Amino acid sequence: MLVEMKGITKDFGPVRALDNVDFKIDAGEIIGLVGENGAGKTTLMNILAGTYFATKGDVFINEEKVQINNIRVANLLGIRFIRQELNLCNDLQVFENMFLADEIKNKYGLLNKKEMIQQSEMVFKRMNVNIDPESIMRDLQAAEKQLVEIAKALLFKCELIIMDEPTTALSTHEITNLFKIMRLLVKEGVSFIYISHKMPELFDICEKYYVLRDGKLVSQGEFEDIDENDLTEMMIGRYLLDEEFSEHTNSSREEVAISVKNLFGKGFNNITFDVHKGEVLAITGLQGSGRDDIADALFGEVSFSGLLEIDGKQIKPGSNIRKFMKRGIGLVPRMRKERGIHNDLSIYDNINMAYLNTKFKDLLISNKKVHSRYIQSKKALDIRAGNPRNAITSLSGGNQQKVILGKWLETDADVLLFDNPTQGIDVGTKFEIYHLIAKLAKQGKAIIVFSPEFLEIYKVADKCIVLYKGTINVVLDREDITEKNIMYYSTGANLEVENA
Amino acid sequence: MLNIKGEKYKDITAKYIFKKLVSEYSFILSFVLLIIIAGIVNKNFFTWTNLSNIFIQSSMIGLIAMGMSMVISAGEIDISVGSQVALIGGFGILVLNITGSTVIMILFCAVFGFLIGTINGLLITKGGMPSMIATMAMMGAARSIINHFGSGGPFTVSRELFGTFRLLAVGGIPLWGNVKIPYLMIIFIIVAIIFDVIMKQTKLGKHIYAVGSNETSARLSGVNVDLIKILVFAITGLMCGLAAVIYASRMTAVAAASAASGYEMETIAAVAIGGTAMSGGRGKILGTFMGVLMFKMISNILTAADVSTFLNGAISGAIIVIAVLMQNYQNRRKYG
Repeated sequence: MLVEMKGITKDFGPVRALDNVDFKIDAGEIIGLVGENGAGKTTLMNILAGTYFATKGDVFINEEKVQINNIRVANLLGIRFIRQELNLCNDLQVFENMFLADEIKNKYGLLNKKEMIQQSEMVFKRMNVNIDPESIMRDLQAAEKQLVEIAKALLFKCELIIMDEPTTALSTHEITNLFKIMRLLVKEGVSFIYISHKMPELFDICEKYYVLRDGKLVSQGEFEDIDENDLTEMMIGRYLLDEEFSEHTNSSREEVAISVKNLFGKGFNNITFDVHKGEVLAITGLQGSGRDDIADALFGEVSFSGLLEIDGKQIKPGSNIRKFMKRGIGLVPRMRKERGIHNDLSIYDNINMAYLNTKFKDLLISNKKVHSRYIQSKKALDIRAGNPRNAITSLSGGNQQKVILGKWLETDADVLLFDNPTQGIDVGTKFEIYHLIAKLAKQGKAIIVFSPEFLEIYKVADKCIVLYKGTINVVLDREDITEKNIMYYSTGANLEVENA
Repeated sequence: MLNIKGEKYKDITAKYIFKKLVSEYSFILSFVLLIIIAGIVNKNFFTWTNLSNIFIQSSMIGLIAMGMSMVISAGEIDISVGSQVALIGGFGILVLNITGSTVIMILFCAVFGFLIGTINGLLITKGGMPSMIATMAMMGAARSIINHFGSGGPFTVSRELFGTFRLLAVGGIPLWGNVKIPYLMIIFIIVAIIFDVIMKQTKLGKHIYAVGSNETSARLSGVNVDLIKILVFAITGLMCGLAAVIYASRMTAVAAASAASGYEMETIAAVAIGGTAMSGGRGKILGTFMGVLMFKMISNILTAADVSTFLNGAISGAIIVIAVLMQNYQNRRKYG
C-alpha cells in the first residue's frame, strides 16, 4: 500500500501546528518520523489516523484520494495508530480490549468469546510474549499494556502501523523482540511509521527519515547517509543549535536552599540532593522513572518519608500543599491545560490564586492591588497579554505558562519547581522561558527543572540527576550533560553492563 | 493587544460593554425582554403591588438559588434543597410552637440547614460520592423523615403565634400611604448583595470558581478543595433553613409530603437562565438574581395566558434545557 499526504496544513485556532507537509510511505517501508516535542509529529499522524481533519491538504492511498473522517475509516483502510498514551479500558479483560469495537459475534449476534480469546493467544504467541488474554487490564505491567496495544494492531489485517514512542516502557529485551516482529511484518508488506526520540533505535530499525520542525517538513532522506549529530541538527536547526551551545553561566551561591535526604515515596526510592541558591538542577528520566512522583512529593502533593529542608528548616512529611507554598516553594505544573490553568477564569484570577492562599489577609480583595501585582509580574516576565480581565485561554501557551510562573513571583517563592515547563510551547517562547529560568537563578532562586528533553536540560541546568526506575542512577555535572550520557543512564544501560 | 505598556486600565468603551453584554451578561438582555413581554401581557405589571409580589413570591427560591449558584459554580449540584426545606420547616414549626420564640426558631433552622449541607458536603468529598447521588440520597431521606414525624400531614403554627409570626411574610416597612417595602423583598435583595460580594471580592468566591473550573489546578495553587466543596453545600443548607422559615411564615404550615417539592428544579432553572455554566467555573450572582425573577415572571405570564399551574415542572425543565443548550452553543462558537 502506498500512502501519500500532500500539502497538509493544520490550524488549532490561531496556532498553525502543521504547515504544508508532504509525506509518503510505500509498502514494506519503515520510516522514522522525528522532531522535537511539539514539532507536529503526532498531529500529522492523527490526521492520517482519522482523529483530526486537516485544515488543508489531501491523503492518497494507492494514488486514490481518500477521506479519513474517523478512526474507523482509518482502520478499514488498514491504518492502525498505536498511541503514546495508551487507549485501554482498565476494567475490561485483555481480549475485550483487543477486540473493542471489532468484536467477533456468533450467528445469534452474541459475543464469541472463545474465538476472540483464541485469536488473542495466537497473536501473543506470534509476538513471543506471555500474556493471558483473560486477565484484567488493570493487573498488567506498563510494558505489558504497551505490548497489548501493539498486539491489537497486529490482530487485524493492517498495512500501515503508526507507532508513537512505543518503547518508552519496554526493556531492551522486549524492544529487540518488537523489532524482530516488525521486520517479519515488513517482509509481508506491512509498513511502519516509527516516532521516537531514541536515536539508536531509529538508526537500528528505520530506513528512511522525515524531520519535522515547528510544523514544517525540514528534511527527508535515508538513515544510511546521516549520523546522530546530523539528525539532531536537523531537528533543532543550525541557528538554534548555536544558540543552545552558547555560554552557560552558573550563578550558584554558597547557601543551600533546598535539601533532600533519603526521600522515599510511591514511585521513587532513596533520593538525596541539595540545591543551592541560584542553582538550576535538572531531574530527568524516562516515563515511569519517578520523575513526576518526585515533583509531586517536593510540592507536598503526595506523601513521602525522609528529610526535606528549606533554608535549613525541615518540612514535616504529610504537610499539605499550602504549607509548602508558605515555606516558599512554587510549582509550574506539567500538563498546563489539565493541571495548570483555570480556563474559565480571567488572567487576573489565575495569577492571583497562589497569593490568595499564602499572603492574603484582608477580608475583601482589592482590584487595585491585584492589578498592581499583575503589572509587576507582567513586566518581570514580559507577559504579552491584552485585557487582563479576559480569560486566560485568550493567551498563547507560552504566555499562559508565564502567568503561572507569575503566580509564584507574587508569593515570593525561593524554590521554583518547573515540571516539564515547555510542553506544547512553540520554540521561540521555549527559549524565552529558558532565559527566564536563567534570570531567576541569577536573582538567587533555587530552581529544579523536571524535564524529559535533552536540549532543555542542556540549556538551563548546572547539574543533572538521571533517574532510572525510581532511583538516582547518576548525577551529571555540567560538562557531562550530553544527549548520549542522558540516554545511556536513563535507560539503565550502565546497570545492564554491570549485570552482564 | 491593548495597553501593553499602560499601567492603568482604560478600555471600557461602548464596544467593550456591548461585547460583554452579548457574551457574558446576555441574561440582562433576556431580563429586559421578559419585562417588556410581561408589561404587554399584564396591564397591571408595572404597579408596585405586582412588582413587590413578584419579589415576595421569588424570595424563597431566590435564597436557595444563591446557595445553588455557589454549588454549581464549584462544579457540583444539589437536588436535595426541596426536601431540606420541608424537613427543616417541619421541625422549625415544632421548635416555634414549643419555645414561642421566632428568634430561636430562625437560629434552629439556620443551624439545622448548615448541618444537613455539611453532611452533603462530607459525603461528596470525604465519601467520594458524585454530588447527584449523595444529594439524591439526602432528598429521599429528608422527605421520608419529615413524613414519618408528621405522618404525611402538615405541621401547623399554633394559634397564639400565628399573628406575629405571619408578619415576617406579609409585613413590610411603610414608605408612604399604603405603599410599603415587604420584608421579604429586603431580605432577598440584601442576601443577593452579600452573595455578590462574596463571589466577586473574597477568597472564598475566587476559590469556588477555581474549584469549579479546574480542581487539579486549584489544588496545586493551594486551594483546600474539600473544604470549599463542603462549604458550598453547607451554605446552601443554611439558605434552605432561611427559606424554610419564610415558607413556614407564608403558609403558616408545612405539609410534610408536598412542601417545597420541585424547588430543586426551580432553583436550578433560575441559576441556569442566569447564565451560570452548568459545568462550573463561570457564573454571576446578578445573573442568578435576575434568573429567579425571570422564572417568576415567566410563570406569571403563563398564568395570565391561562396555562395550567400543573405545567410548572414542564416549564422548569424546558427552561433548564433551553438555557443550557444556549450556553453550549455560545461555548462552541467561542472555543471552536
